[in-house]
Amino acid sequence: MKKLMAFAALAAVVAVPAFAADGAKLYTEKTCNACHGPEGKKPLMPNYPKLAGQNAAYAEQQMKDIKSGARNNGQTAAMKGVMHLVNDEEIKAIADYLSKLKP
Amino acid sequence: MKKLIIAASLSIFALGIAHAAPPAPKKEGIEGKDYKWNAQEGEKVEALQKKGDKKNGQEAYEVCGACHLPSGAGRPDGTFPQLAGQHTTVLIKQMADIRAGLRDNPTMYPFAATLTDPQELADVAAYIEGLCIPVEHGKYEGADASLQVAKGKDLYEKQCLECHGKNGEGNKEKFYPVIAGQHYKYLLRQMTEIRDGHRRNANPDMVKVIKPYTNEQLVAISAYQASLTMPGSMCKPKAAAPAKKK
Repeated sequence: MKKLMAFAALAAVVAVPAFAADGAKLYTEKTCNACHGPEGKKPLMPNYPKLAGQNAAYAEQQMKDIKSGARNNGQTAAMKGVMHLVNDEEIKAIADYLSKLKP
Repeated sequence: MKKLIIAASLSIFALGIAHAAPPAPKKEGIEGKDYKWNAQEGEKVEALQKKGDKKNGQEAYEVCGACHLPSGAGRPDGTFPQLAGQHTTVLIKQMADIRAGLRDNPTMYPFAATLTDPQELADVAAYIEGLCIPVEHGKYEGADASLQVAKGKDLYEKQCLECHGKNGEGNKEKFYPVIAGQHYKYLLRQMTEIRDGHRRNANPDMVKVIKPYTNEQLVAISAYQASLTMPGSMCKPKAAAPAKKK
Protein backbone atom coordinates (compact mmCIF):
# COMPACT_ATOMS: atom_id res chain seq x y z
CA MET A 1 0.00 0.00 0.00
CA LYS A 2 2.77 2.34 0.97
CA LYS A 3 4.47 1.51 -2.26
CA LEU A 4 1.32 2.25 -4.16
CA MET A 5 0.94 5.59 -2.39
CA ALA A 6 4.51 6.51 -3.18
CA PHE A 7 3.96 5.46 -6.75
CA ALA A 8 0.76 7.51 -7.01
CA ALA A 9 2.48 10.55 -5.53
CA LEU A 10 5.35 10.09 -7.92
CA ALA A 11 2.99 9.73 -10.82
CA ALA A 12 1.25 12.95 -9.85
CA VAL A 13 4.57 14.79 -9.64
CA VAL A 14 5.70 13.39 -12.96
CA ALA A 15 2.37 14.02 -14.64
CA VAL A 16 2.42 17.78 -14.16
CA PRO A 17 5.62 18.56 -16.06
CA ALA A 18 4.64 16.02 -18.71
CA PHE A 19 1.40 17.91 -19.21
CA ALA A 20 3.19 21.24 -19.51
CA ALA A 21 5.77 19.83 -21.90
CA ASP A 22 2.96 18.40 -23.92
CA GLY A 23 1.44 21.87 -24.25
CA ALA A 24 4.75 23.33 -25.36
CA LYS A 25 5.15 20.64 -27.99
CA LEU A 26 1.60 21.04 -29.20
CA TYR A 27 1.99 24.82 -29.39
CA THR A 28 4.67 24.38 -32.07
CA GLU A 29 3.37 21.21 -33.68
CA LYS A 30 -0.11 22.57 -34.24
CA THR A 31 1.31 25.80 -35.72
CA CYS A 32 0.10 28.16 -32.95
CA ASN A 33 3.60 29.66 -32.92
CA ALA A 34 3.25 30.74 -36.55
CA CYS A 35 0.80 33.53 -35.70
CA HIS A 36 1.27 34.04 -31.97
CA GLY A 37 5.07 33.92 -31.84
CA PRO A 38 7.38 31.23 -30.48
CA GLU A 39 6.71 32.20 -26.84
CA GLY A 40 3.24 33.64 -27.23
CA LYS A 41 4.60 37.14 -26.88
CA LYS A 42 5.18 38.40 -30.40
CA PRO A 43 2.15 37.96 -32.64
CA LEU A 44 2.54 38.09 -36.41
CA MET A 45 0.02 40.91 -36.69
CA PRO A 46 -0.57 43.86 -34.38
CA ASN A 47 -4.22 42.86 -34.04
CA TYR A 48 -3.46 39.29 -32.95
CA PRO A 49 -3.40 38.66 -29.20
CA LYS A 50 -0.38 38.06 -26.99
CA LEU A 51 -1.04 34.77 -25.26
CA ALA A 52 1.75 34.39 -22.72
CA GLY A 53 0.35 34.45 -19.19
CA GLN A 54 -3.28 34.34 -20.29
CA ASN A 55 -5.75 32.69 -17.92
CA ALA A 56 -5.92 29.01 -18.80
CA ALA A 57 -9.69 28.78 -18.48
CA TYR A 58 -10.20 31.82 -20.69
CA ALA A 59 -7.76 30.63 -23.37
CA GLU A 60 -9.35 27.20 -23.38
CA GLN A 61 -12.85 28.61 -23.80
CA GLN A 62 -11.81 30.94 -26.64
CA MET A 63 -10.13 28.11 -28.52
CA LYS A 64 -13.21 25.94 -28.13
CA ASP A 65 -15.53 28.75 -29.20
CA ILE A 66 -13.45 29.58 -32.27
CA LYS A 67 -13.34 25.92 -33.22
CA SER A 68 -17.11 25.46 -32.84
CA GLY A 69 -17.93 28.75 -34.55
CA ALA A 70 -19.62 30.13 -31.42
CA ARG A 71 -17.05 32.91 -31.57
CA ASN A 72 -16.99 34.39 -35.01
CA ASN A 73 -15.51 37.84 -34.71
CA GLY A 74 -12.16 39.54 -35.06
CA GLN A 75 -9.53 37.30 -36.57
CA THR A 76 -11.33 34.02 -36.01
CA ALA A 77 -11.41 33.26 -39.74
CA ALA A 78 -7.61 33.10 -39.76
CA MET A 79 -7.56 30.75 -36.78
CA LYS A 80 -10.43 28.54 -37.88
CA GLY A 81 -8.27 27.09 -40.64
CA VAL A 82 -6.09 25.31 -38.08
CA MET A 83 -8.51 24.48 -35.27
CA HIS A 84 -9.35 21.07 -36.67
CA LEU A 85 -5.78 20.14 -35.75
CA VAL A 86 -6.55 20.08 -32.00
CA ASN A 87 -9.02 18.18 -29.85
CA ASP A 88 -10.43 19.25 -26.47
CA GLU A 89 -7.68 17.57 -24.52
CA GLU A 90 -4.99 19.23 -26.61
CA ILE A 91 -6.71 22.59 -26.28
CA LYS A 92 -6.61 22.19 -22.51
CA ALA A 93 -2.89 21.33 -22.57
CA ILE A 94 -2.09 24.34 -24.75
CA ALA A 95 -4.15 26.66 -22.53
CA ASP A 96 -2.34 25.36 -19.48
CA TYR A 97 1.04 25.89 -21.17
CA LEU A 98 0.14 29.45 -22.17
CA SER A 99 -0.95 30.35 -18.65
CA LYS A 100 2.49 29.41 -17.34
CA LEU A 101 4.45 31.48 -19.85
CA LYS A 102 5.91 34.78 -18.65
CA PRO A 103 4.25 37.70 -20.42
CA MET B 1 -13.58 60.58 -65.54
CA LYS B 2 -9.83 60.88 -65.74
CA LYS B 3 -9.79 62.08 -62.13
CA LEU B 4 -11.85 59.10 -61.10
CA ILE B 5 -9.45 56.73 -62.80
CA ILE B 6 -6.50 58.39 -61.11
CA ALA B 7 -8.23 58.21 -57.75
CA ALA B 8 -9.10 54.57 -58.31
CA SER B 9 -5.62 53.59 -59.38
CA LEU B 10 -4.20 55.57 -56.49
CA SER B 11 -6.33 53.70 -54.01
CA ILE B 12 -5.30 50.37 -55.51
CA PHE B 13 -1.72 51.52 -55.26
CA ALA B 14 -2.24 52.51 -51.65
CA LEU B 15 -3.65 49.08 -50.91
CA GLY B 16 -0.56 47.56 -52.39
CA ILE B 17 1.92 49.47 -50.32
CA ALA B 18 0.02 49.83 -47.08
CA HIS B 19 1.39 47.45 -44.51
CA ALA B 20 -1.41 45.04 -45.09
CA ALA B 21 -3.37 43.91 -42.07
CA PRO B 22 -6.29 41.54 -42.18
CA PRO B 23 -8.96 41.20 -43.28
CA ALA B 24 -7.82 40.48 -46.81
CA PRO B 25 -9.05 42.60 -49.69
CA LYS B 26 -11.61 41.04 -52.00
CA LYS B 27 -11.07 41.18 -55.73
CA GLU B 28 -13.60 40.00 -58.30
CA GLY B 29 -12.77 36.45 -59.32
CA ILE B 30 -14.46 33.64 -61.16
CA GLU B 31 -17.87 34.68 -59.80
CA GLY B 32 -17.73 37.91 -61.85
CA LYS B 33 -18.51 38.20 -65.55
CA ASP B 34 -15.40 40.28 -66.31
CA TYR B 35 -13.03 37.74 -64.78
CA LYS B 36 -9.96 37.06 -66.83
CA TRP B 37 -7.96 34.13 -65.52
CA ASN B 38 -4.32 34.82 -64.77
CA ALA B 39 -4.48 38.38 -66.12
CA GLN B 40 -0.89 39.49 -66.57
CA GLU B 41 -0.95 42.47 -64.27
CA GLY B 42 0.23 43.79 -60.96
CA GLU B 43 3.06 42.52 -58.80
CA LYS B 44 2.75 39.00 -60.18
CA VAL B 45 4.13 40.11 -63.56
CA GLU B 46 6.98 41.95 -61.88
CA ALA B 47 7.79 39.01 -59.63
CA LEU B 48 7.77 36.60 -62.57
CA GLN B 49 10.31 38.75 -64.42
CA LYS B 50 12.72 39.06 -61.53
CA LYS B 51 15.53 36.71 -60.71
CA GLY B 52 14.91 35.31 -57.27
CA ASP B 53 17.62 35.52 -54.65
CA LYS B 54 17.72 32.22 -52.75
CA LYS B 55 19.50 33.61 -49.75
CA ASN B 56 16.97 36.33 -49.13
CA GLY B 57 14.27 33.82 -50.01
CA GLN B 58 15.44 31.57 -47.21
CA GLU B 59 15.01 34.39 -44.70
CA ALA B 60 11.61 35.34 -46.04
CA TYR B 61 10.56 31.69 -45.99
CA GLU B 62 11.03 31.48 -42.25
CA VAL B 63 7.47 32.62 -41.52
CA CYS B 64 6.19 30.19 -44.16
CA GLY B 65 8.08 27.30 -42.60
CA ALA B 66 6.07 27.41 -39.38
CA CYS B 67 3.15 25.86 -41.28
CA HIS B 68 4.63 24.48 -44.51
CA LEU B 69 7.64 23.18 -42.55
CA PRO B 70 11.26 24.12 -43.23
CA SER B 71 11.37 21.21 -45.69
CA GLY B 72 8.42 22.60 -47.67
CA ALA B 73 6.59 19.32 -47.09
CA GLY B 74 3.43 20.84 -45.62
CA ARG B 75 1.29 18.43 -43.62
CA PRO B 76 0.13 14.98 -44.72
CA ASP B 77 -3.31 15.80 -43.26
CA GLY B 78 -3.68 18.33 -46.07
CA THR B 79 -4.03 21.41 -43.86
CA PHE B 80 -1.00 22.92 -45.58
CA PRO B 81 0.10 21.86 -49.05
CA GLN B 82 3.53 20.58 -49.97
CA LEU B 83 5.43 23.42 -51.65
CA ALA B 84 8.64 21.58 -52.50
CA GLY B 85 8.64 20.63 -56.17
CA GLN B 86 6.03 23.17 -57.19
CA HIS B 87 6.68 25.42 -60.23
CA THR B 88 7.91 28.91 -59.34
CA THR B 89 5.29 30.37 -61.66
CA VAL B 90 2.52 28.65 -59.72
CA LEU B 91 3.97 29.65 -56.35
CA ILE B 92 4.21 33.28 -57.41
CA LYS B 93 0.73 33.34 -58.92
CA GLN B 94 -0.88 31.81 -55.84
CA MET B 95 0.95 34.10 -53.43
CA ALA B 96 0.04 37.14 -55.51
CA ASP B 97 -3.58 36.01 -55.83
CA ILE B 98 -3.88 35.56 -52.07
CA ARG B 99 -2.29 38.97 -51.49
CA ALA B 100 -4.64 40.58 -54.00
CA GLY B 101 -7.75 39.03 -52.44
CA LEU B 102 -8.42 36.81 -55.43
CA ARG B 103 -7.92 33.54 -53.59
CA ASP B 104 -9.54 33.54 -50.17
CA ASN B 105 -7.33 32.09 -47.51
CA PRO B 106 -7.68 33.93 -44.22
CA THR B 107 -5.15 31.68 -42.49
CA MET B 108 -2.44 32.29 -45.04
CA TYR B 109 -3.25 35.88 -45.94
CA PRO B 110 -1.28 37.60 -43.14
CA PHE B 111 1.76 35.49 -43.94
CA ALA B 112 1.57 36.24 -47.64
CA ALA B 113 1.13 39.88 -46.71
CA THR B 114 4.42 39.94 -44.78
CA LEU B 115 6.37 39.59 -48.03
CA THR B 116 7.48 43.09 -48.87
CA ASP B 117 7.48 43.32 -52.65
CA PRO B 118 7.58 41.46 -55.99
CA GLN B 119 11.29 40.82 -55.51
CA GLU B 120 10.59 38.98 -52.28
CA LEU B 121 7.90 36.87 -53.95
CA ALA B 122 10.50 35.87 -56.52
CA ASP B 123 13.05 35.21 -53.77
CA VAL B 124 10.76 32.89 -51.80
CA ALA B 125 9.77 31.03 -54.96
CA ALA B 126 13.45 30.61 -55.89
CA TYR B 127 14.23 29.27 -52.43
CA ILE B 128 11.37 26.77 -52.53
CA GLU B 129 12.50 25.68 -56.00
CA GLY B 130 15.82 24.65 -54.46
CA LEU B 131 14.25 22.34 -51.86
CA CYS B 132 14.41 18.62 -52.47
CA ILE B 133 11.10 16.82 -52.88
CA PRO B 134 10.08 14.82 -49.80
CA VAL B 135 9.88 11.08 -50.34
CA GLU B 136 6.69 10.72 -48.28
CA HIS B 137 3.41 12.61 -48.41
CA GLY B 138 -0.25 12.14 -47.52
CA LYS B 139 -1.96 9.40 -49.52
CA TYR B 140 -5.42 7.86 -49.64
CA GLU B 141 -5.42 5.44 -46.75
CA GLY B 142 -8.68 3.52 -47.04
CA ALA B 143 -8.72 -0.26 -47.31
CA ASP B 144 -9.93 0.14 -50.90
CA ALA B 145 -6.92 2.25 -51.89
CA SER B 146 -5.86 0.16 -54.87
CA LEU B 147 -9.40 0.23 -56.24
CA GLN B 148 -9.67 3.99 -55.78
CA VAL B 149 -6.29 4.57 -57.41
CA ALA B 150 -7.27 2.41 -60.39
CA LYS B 151 -10.60 4.22 -60.74
CA GLY B 152 -8.83 7.54 -60.42
CA LYS B 153 -6.27 6.62 -63.06
CA ASP B 154 -9.02 6.06 -65.63
CA LEU B 155 -10.64 9.38 -64.88
CA TYR B 156 -7.33 11.22 -64.70
CA GLU B 157 -6.19 9.95 -68.08
CA LYS B 158 -9.46 10.97 -69.70
CA GLN B 159 -9.49 14.63 -68.76
CA CYS B 160 -6.75 15.73 -66.36
CA LEU B 161 -3.65 14.37 -68.05
CA GLU B 162 -3.89 16.77 -70.96
CA CYS B 163 -3.00 19.76 -68.76
CA HIS B 164 -1.42 18.25 -65.66
CA GLY B 165 0.75 15.73 -67.50
CA LYS B 166 1.33 12.01 -67.36
CA ASN B 167 3.16 12.17 -64.05
CA GLY B 168 1.22 15.08 -62.62
CA GLU B 169 4.08 17.42 -63.51
CA GLY B 170 1.86 20.32 -64.58
CA ASN B 171 3.22 23.01 -66.89
CA LYS B 172 5.47 25.79 -65.70
CA GLU B 173 4.85 28.19 -68.60
CA LYS B 174 1.08 27.77 -68.47
CA PHE B 175 0.84 28.07 -64.65
CA TYR B 176 -0.60 24.56 -64.35
CA PRO B 177 0.47 23.21 -60.97
CA VAL B 178 2.45 20.12 -60.19
CA ILE B 179 0.05 17.74 -58.46
CA ALA B 180 2.28 14.70 -58.03
CA GLY B 181 3.63 14.52 -54.53
CA GLN B 182 0.81 16.64 -53.18
CA HIS B 183 -1.16 15.45 -50.16
CA TYR B 184 -4.30 13.52 -50.97
CA LYS B 185 -6.48 15.54 -48.61
CA TYR B 186 -5.22 18.85 -49.96
CA LEU B 187 -5.88 17.79 -53.55
CA LEU B 188 -9.39 16.69 -52.66
CA ARG B 189 -10.12 19.92 -50.80
CA GLN B 190 -8.85 22.15 -53.61
CA MET B 191 -10.65 20.24 -56.36
CA THR B 192 -13.86 20.39 -54.37
CA GLU B 193 -13.41 24.14 -53.84
CA ILE B 194 -12.68 24.70 -57.52
CA ARG B 195 -15.71 22.67 -58.56
CA ASP B 196 -17.98 24.51 -56.13
CA GLY B 197 -16.74 27.99 -57.07
CA HIS B 198 -14.99 28.69 -53.77
CA ARG B 199 -11.51 28.95 -55.20
CA ARG B 200 -12.12 32.24 -56.93
CA ASN B 201 -8.82 32.45 -58.80
CA ALA B 202 -9.50 29.19 -60.62
CA ASN B 203 -9.01 28.63 -64.32
CA PRO B 204 -12.44 28.60 -66.02
CA ASP B 205 -11.27 25.77 -68.29
CA MET B 206 -10.56 23.71 -65.20
CA VAL B 207 -13.91 24.62 -63.67
CA LYS B 208 -15.69 23.53 -66.85
CA VAL B 209 -13.93 20.17 -66.79
CA ILE B 210 -14.44 19.50 -63.10
CA LYS B 211 -18.06 20.71 -62.73
CA PRO B 212 -19.77 17.37 -63.56
CA TYR B 213 -17.64 15.26 -61.22
CA THR B 214 -19.20 13.68 -58.14
CA ASN B 215 -17.58 13.69 -54.70
CA GLU B 216 -16.78 9.99 -55.14
CA GLN B 217 -15.02 10.65 -58.43
CA LEU B 218 -12.97 13.43 -56.89
CA VAL B 219 -11.90 11.06 -54.12
CA ALA B 220 -10.69 8.55 -56.71
CA ILE B 221 -8.89 11.17 -58.79
CA SER B 222 -7.19 12.61 -55.70
CA ALA B 223 -6.18 9.11 -54.62
CA TYR B 224 -4.54 8.53 -57.99
CA GLN B 225 -2.86 11.93 -58.12
CA ALA B 226 -1.41 11.43 -54.66
CA SER B 227 0.01 8.10 -55.80
CA LEU B 228 2.06 9.76 -58.55
CA THR B 229 5.74 10.42 -58.08
CA MET B 230 7.20 13.72 -59.02
CA PRO B 231 9.92 13.71 -61.60
CA GLY B 232 12.52 15.86 -59.92
CA SER B 233 15.17 16.02 -57.25
CA MET B 234 13.83 13.77 -54.55
CA CYS B 235 15.24 14.05 -51.04
CA LYS B 236 17.50 11.23 -50.09
CA PRO B 237 15.77 8.95 -47.62
CA LYS B 238 16.39 10.15 -44.07
CA ALA B 239 17.51 13.54 -45.37
CA ALA B 240 13.87 14.62 -45.53
CA ALA B 241 14.13 16.33 -42.16
CA PRO B 242 17.59 17.84 -41.87
CA ALA B 243 18.52 17.49 -38.22
CA LYS B 244 20.86 20.11 -36.85
CA LYS B 245 23.72 18.37 -35.14
CA LYS B 246 25.48 20.52 -32.65
